Amino acid sequence: MDRRVTLAHGAGGKQTGELIREVFRKHFSNPEFTADDAAVLDLGTGRIAMTTDGFIVSPYRFPGGNIGKLSICGTVNDLACMGAKPMYMTCSFVIEEGFPMDELEEIAAAMEKTAAEAGVRIVAGDTKVAGKGQVDHVFITTTGIGALTEGVSLSGAKARPGDAVIVTGDVGRHGCTILLAREELGIDADVKSDCAPLSGLVESVLRATKDIHVIRDATRGGVGTVLYEIAEQSGVGVRVDQAAVPVDGAVGGVCGMLGLDPLYLANEGTMVVVAPKERAESVLEALHSHPYGEKAALIGEITGDNAGKVIVTTEIGTETLLPQPGGELLPRIC
Amino acid sequence: MTAMAADAAVLKAGRIMTDIMEKREPARKSAREIIESYDGPKLRIMEVCGTHTHEIFRLGIRSLLPDTIELVSGPGCPVCVTPVGFVDEAVMLALEKGAVVCTFGDLIRVPGTKMSLAGARAEGARIRIVYAPDDAVEYAAAHPEEQVVFLAVGFETTTPAAALAVRRARDEKIENFSILTANKTMPNAYLALRGSADAFLYPGHVNAITGETECRRLAEESGISGVIAGFTAKELLTALAVIIEKSKTGEPFFVNCYPRVVRPEGNPAGLSLIREVMEPCDSEWRGLGIIPMSGLRLREEYRGYDARVRFALPKIEGRPNPACRCGEVLQGKCRPSDCRVFGKGCTPEHPVGACMVSSEGACAAYYQYGAK
Amino acid sequence: MCVGLAAKVVGIRNGTALVDANGAKREVSAQLLEDLEPGDYVMVHAGVAIAKITDDDGDETDALMEML
Repeated sequence: MDRRVTLAHGAGGKQTGELIREVFRKHFSNPEFTADDAAVLDLGTGRIAMTTDGFIVSPYRFPGGNIGKLSICGTVNDLACMGAKPMYMTCSFVIEEGFPMDELEEIAAAMEKTAAEAGVRIVAGDTKVAGKGQVDHVFITTTGIGALTEGVSLSGAKARPGDAVIVTGDVGRHGCTILLAREELGIDADVKSDCAPLSGLVESVLRATKDIHVIRDATRGGVGTVLYEIAEQSGVGVRVDQAAVPVDGAVGGVCGMLGLDPLYLANEGTMVVVAPKERAESVLEALHSHPYGEKAALIGEITGDNAGKVIVTTEIGTETLLPQPGGELLPRIC
Repeated sequence: MTAMAADAAVLKAGRIMTDIMEKREPARKSAREIIESYDGPKLRIMEVCGTHTHEIFRLGIRSLLPDTIELVSGPGCPVCVTPVGFVDEAVMLALEKGAVVCTFGDLIRVPGTKMSLAGARAEGARIRIVYAPDDAVEYAAAHPEEQVVFLAVGFETTTPAAALAVRRARDEKIENFSILTANKTMPNAYLALRGSADAFLYPGHVNAITGETECRRLAEESGISGVIAGFTAKELLTALAVIIEKSKTGEPFFVNCYPRVVRPEGNPAGLSLIREVMEPCDSEWRGLGIIPMSGLRLREEYRGYDARVRFALPKIEGRPNPACRCGEVLQGKCRPSDCRVFGKGCTPEHPVGACMVSSEGACAAYYQYGAK
Repeated sequence: MCVGLAAKVVGIRNGTALVDANGAKREVSAQLLEDLEPGDYVMVHAGVAIAKITDDDGDETDALMEML
């Protein structure tokens, strides 16, 4: 078989999982190495969470943000998903020769502003410049650590039958924004990335109740991918009510044109929260009272049957399997 | 309001009034009730169109069907019926001839003899995904130093878009644009598929161009039954219910169940555009072999825009993987799960046959929705 | 076989129609349809408006069921 890295390995679906399993986990495996969004470490001084994330996005500037804002949000949100308060970050840049300095500064300024909002400090960094054409403008990798909130224990393996499945916002906006920003499809729509640091949002949820089982950042691969990850890690099924999934009108229109499903499009400011059914109301209340959670919605439940699968209740009340996301997202005509 | 809408509204109002006045449940069964309660002889229905296959799965319609109704998937996915040799030609254009190949996203992962377009892209070929053939012309106009080839696949629905692109290139003298044709037409395929099913669910968007005539004639002259179907839940359920009710008569039938989009005459401008730019030719369908006069190629006066001519492509005989049974799947002769490699050597990530590639391909739909 | 998108015509210019589907806008060819006007609904496929839509699917299916 062809052993090359393909774009499908970067799409967040099944192949990405394979790449991590067969290359990285094989070599990096240790007791703290995590399948969740951040590792939890016991340094003898209280528990911390730690994670790292690389950012390549074309174009590096898009409606609603740029790669700098994205690089802070991604790592902050991964820490927040473990119930950690993000504290320190490092960042590493790979910059293409010839990249305009004032645009680099614009990126750095966005990082500063977003870090301040999230209450996190950038404490170390690294810069490399690659020859013209060796990278696409600029790549950023950020690493962050955060202090774990006492009494909170979150993991993709903790979903239980009967739990409520909640999304913290409308789905697919970031992925849709990037598709349109590439300007190759000739489609014009008023869609902005949902890119936002969600540590404050998670904090207010955890203030309402610490009895939460899973929080997952629905980035690459979208909510569909996250639901499959939870189903697999927890050994449960997930049932989603199609009509309850919040989708921005224009995102729906773009998806209709291109034959795509918003459930597979990336988010950078929307998470999936799984909590005991009796906590659903207070979680939703906390989300709705936060500016980043106004469109939060209960979209389904965890089931004991159909382990490892995501079942959708359709508009006509029938049940069907949500196809497992995989491969590159391709606009289709048929 | 259109005349038809007005008629429907009057009918609806009349029915509601009767119901209210007589204080009874509506006597009429809903489409869904007709489908769920069907207990007549076994009925085999072929959804010709891959988008129908996809929507039927997405809407969970199969879960409503009694055992007496079997839905089989037909050859109506242009990606699935495109032969291996076509992918090989496209790969050769991109890798050896240095052309920028513009394609619908659907074709990217279809396996060729050696590799797919995705494979060629990983080797450095320039492949661009476009939403419309016209976008490829636009790109060619903006990059006169490059040779741009659009991969023209599709049935009557899609062919006018490719024909418009060629005509624009000629009118605006965009000489670095050409197309690689694999366009196909449906009527002869229906005849080739005769006997595969008791009734066809005709592909509504093909009929939007071709109209009712051909399908009506299939019922009247060849005894082939079918209905033109739309794509919403209501339209699909109604089309299935109409098939069930009409089948009870035992006579061949034809009904246009998608009149809000399909006119009896179709789209005359689209048909004459196809005739102006293209002419019929024999065409190879993956799995079905060569069906006489079921394909389209550029007419003599447009031959300069034919990539095969411009790049003097040699005749390429593609070699499909022998384990693959896509051909039988496309004819409804076997189910995807009957194939030896289905779900094992052949998955959406590593497709062996084209039916596993397109999300509307029968194999991909069966695999992703866990059907047997 | 063919993904079709129902969209509203919001502008017409030289054989091109600007269509809008829930706020997603794109220019498509209007060359296959005569007398398109802003406000019309069309079925769009691969960047071409292939048919005018004359009704909604509810009224259409009601009329068909009535026929049975």
